[in-house]
Amino acid sequence: MAHMEISASTSTAVATPSGPAKPVLRSLLGGLVTALPVLAIGLLILAFAPAYYTHLALAAFVNLIVVVGLQVFMGNGNIANLGHSAFVGIGAYGVAVLATPPAMKKLSIPDAPFGLADIALDPLTAALCALLAVGVVAAASGKVISRLSGVAATIVSLALLIIVHSVFLNWTDLFKGNQAFFGIPKVVGLPGIMAAAVVVIVLARLFKDSRWGLQLRASAQSPQAAAAVGVDAKRLRLVAWILSALICGLAGILYAYFAGTISPKLFYFQQIFMTLAMLILGGMATVTGAVTGVIVLSVGLEFIRSIESGVSIGGIQLPQLLGLSGVALGVVIVLSMAFRPSGICGRHELDEQLARFFRRAR
Amino acid sequence: MDYLFQQLLNALAFGAEYSLVALGLAVVFSIMGLVNFAHGEIIGVSAYSVFLAAALGLTSPLVAVLLAVGAAALAAVAFERVAFRPVRYAPTTTGLLTAFGVSIVVQNLFMLLISPKPQSVSILNGLNQMWFFGPFAVSSLQVLELVVAALAIVGLVLFLNRSTLGLAIRAASRDFATVRLMGIRANRVIATAFAISGALAGIAAVFIIARRGSVTPDLGFGLVLKAFVACVIGGFGSLAGAAVGGMLLGFIEVGLLVALPQQYGGFKEALTYGIIVALLLYRPEGLLGRRAELGDKEA
Repeated sequence: MAHMEISASTSTAVATPSGPAKPVLRSLLGGLVTALPVLAIGLLILAFAPAYYTHLALAAFVNLIVVVGLQVFMGNGNIANLGHSAFVGIGAYGVAVLATPPAMKKLSIPDAPFGLADIALDPLTAALCALLAVGVVAAASGKVISRLSGVAATIVSLALLIIVHSVFLNWTDLFKGNQAFFGIPKVVGLPGIMAAAVVVIVLARLFKDSRWGLQLRASAQSPQAAAAVGVDAKRLRLVAWILSALICGLAGILYAYFAGTISPKLFYFQQIFMTLAMLILGGMATVTGAVTGVIVLSVGLEFIRSIESGVSIGGIQLPQLLGLSGVALGVVIVLSMAFRPSGICGRHELDEQLARFFRRAR
Repeated sequence: MDYLFQQLLNALAFGAEYSLVALGLAVVFSIMGLVNFAHGEIIGVSAYSVFLAAALGLTSPLVAVLLAVGAAALAAVAFERVAFRPVRYAPTTTGLLTAFGVSIVVQNLFMLLISPKPQSVSILNGLNQMWFFGPFAVSSLQVLELVVAALAIVGLVLFLNRSTLGLAIRAASRDFATVRLMGIRANRVIATAFAISGALAGIAAVFIIARRGSVTPDLGFGLVLKAFVACVIGGFGSLAGAAVGGMLLGFIEVGLLVALPQQYGGFKEALTYGIIVALLLYRPEGLLGRRAELGDKEA
C-alpha cells in the first residue's frame, strides 16, 4: 500500500515542472521515452550489423513483445502467469494455417478440416483472424483465471499452456504435429517488428497508467481495500489477461511472418523460462523493467550460448556444455528473487527516473 | 471384467502416485505458502542418486530404495536452506517464481553434469513383476504403489496427530506467529515439513524408476505439474484435498484412456486439464478448499 502512495505522489510531482499536462499525454510520452532505447538499438543494427545479428535482433524483438505482454498481466495483477506462450503459439499457428499458400499446404497439411487446405488469406487479414482466435481463447480462459486467487490462477495458466501444446501436437491434420510447419509467407522484417514493439510498449504503458491499470494494481496490493472502494478486481483481471494475450499473440504472428517456419516446441516451457527470467530481472512492476530485462538477458544469453556450444580459449577446446544457458536463466530468477525482488528497475518508469534525476540536478 | 479390473487398478495406482506427490506439495504450502515448483527436481535428485549409486556398483534394491527416500528428504531440506529461506517472508508470487527458478537450475544441472539423454537404471526392475491371483494377472508394481502410498498417508496422519512436532506443523499451517510464540523454532518446523515432503517424493521416485527403468532430467517436472493440478482440484493447502485430488486425477485420466478411441488418445492430456478447469469454474476454491471470506487471513 505504501508503494502505491509513493508512486502516485511521484507521478504527480513529475507533472508539475512542465505544467498541468494531460495524464494520457504524459503516459504516451513516457511510453515513447521507454521505447527510445529499443528504437535506437534497432536502428543501429539495421544500419551497421551483419545479417546474423539482424536475425538475432528479430528474435529478441519478438521476445520483447512477449515480455511486455506478460508484464501487462503479471506486473499489474501481480499473479504469476506461466501460460502466455500458449497465446504466442495460437497467434503463430493461426497465421500459419490461414496465410500459407495452398500449394504449400498441399504438401504439409493436405487433410486440413473445414477446407482450410485450399484457402489462403492475405497476411493482414490472416493476422486479424489469428488475433481474433487468440482473443476468443483468452476470453474463455480469462473467465476461469480471473475468478481464482493467486496460486490457483497460476496453475490454471499452466494447464492452458499444456492443453494448447497438446492440441498442436495431436491435431496433426491442422497443425502438422511435432513436425515443423513451413512455407509461411515471410512478409515482416526488422522495421516492421520494431514498429510493433514501440506500439506495444506505449500500449502497455497507457494501460498501466489508465484508470483500469491503476485500479488493478491497487487491488493486487490490497484486495480488501480495493473491493471496499468499489473496484471490480475480477473484471479488471479479465481485461488485463485479454490485453496481455493479444500482445503475446501479436508476437507469435510476427515471429511466424519473419521466420516462415514454426514448430510447437518453440511455444513451450523453453520460451516461458526465458521470457519470465527477462521480466523478473528487469522488474515486473514497470514497462521499463520489461524492456531492460529483455535487453540485458538477450545480450547475456547470446554470450552464454557461444560458450555452451564449445569454445576454444587459448588453444584449449572446451567441450559442449548443454544446459548452461538454462542454468543461467534459473540462477538469474533465483538471485533476483532473493536479493532484488523488484528487479533492476524497481517501481519507476524510465521517464519518471529521468524526471527525478533532472530535478535533483537543478 | 478382467479389463475393467485392470483399468481400475491402473486408476488406483496412478491416483496413488499423484496423491503422494500432491501431499508433499500441500505439506509445504500449508505451512509457509510456498508453491514448490522444484518438487519435481527433488524426485530428480532422488532418481539420479540411485542412478549414480548403481553406476558405482550398488546392487541391493533395498539399499537403493532407502537411498532414494533419504536423498530426496535431504535434497528437499537443502533446497529450503539454500533457496527458499531468503524468500520465506516474501509474497507468494516471489516464492513461486524462486521455486520455478530452482527447478530450471537443477533440471539443467542434470543435463550439464550427467546427460540430456535418458540413462538406464535397472536396479529396481525387480519390483515390476506379474502376480497371478486366480484368474487375474496384476502388476506387482501397481499393487505395491497402492499399498505403500496408503501406508505413507497413514504414517503421515499418525505423525501429524500424535507427535509434538506434528502438532506444531498443523498449528503452523493455521497461524505460524502463534506457534513461534509458544517457543517452537520456526526453522525446525519448516525443515521437518520439507523432509516429509521430500520423503514422499522419494517414495514416488522409487516407483517411477522401477516402472520406466531409466532417468531423464525432466523426470519429475511433468508429474509435479499434475500434482499441482491435483492440489488445485482438492483445494490448495488442504492435505485431505491433495490426496483426494490426486486420486480423482488418476481416475479422470484412466477413464479418458478407456473412453477415448485409439486415434484420439493423444488428446487425453488436453481433455484431463479441460475437465479440471471446468471443475474449477464450478468450485473455484477446490473440492475441499475453504472459501476465503473478505477479512480472513489472505491466502
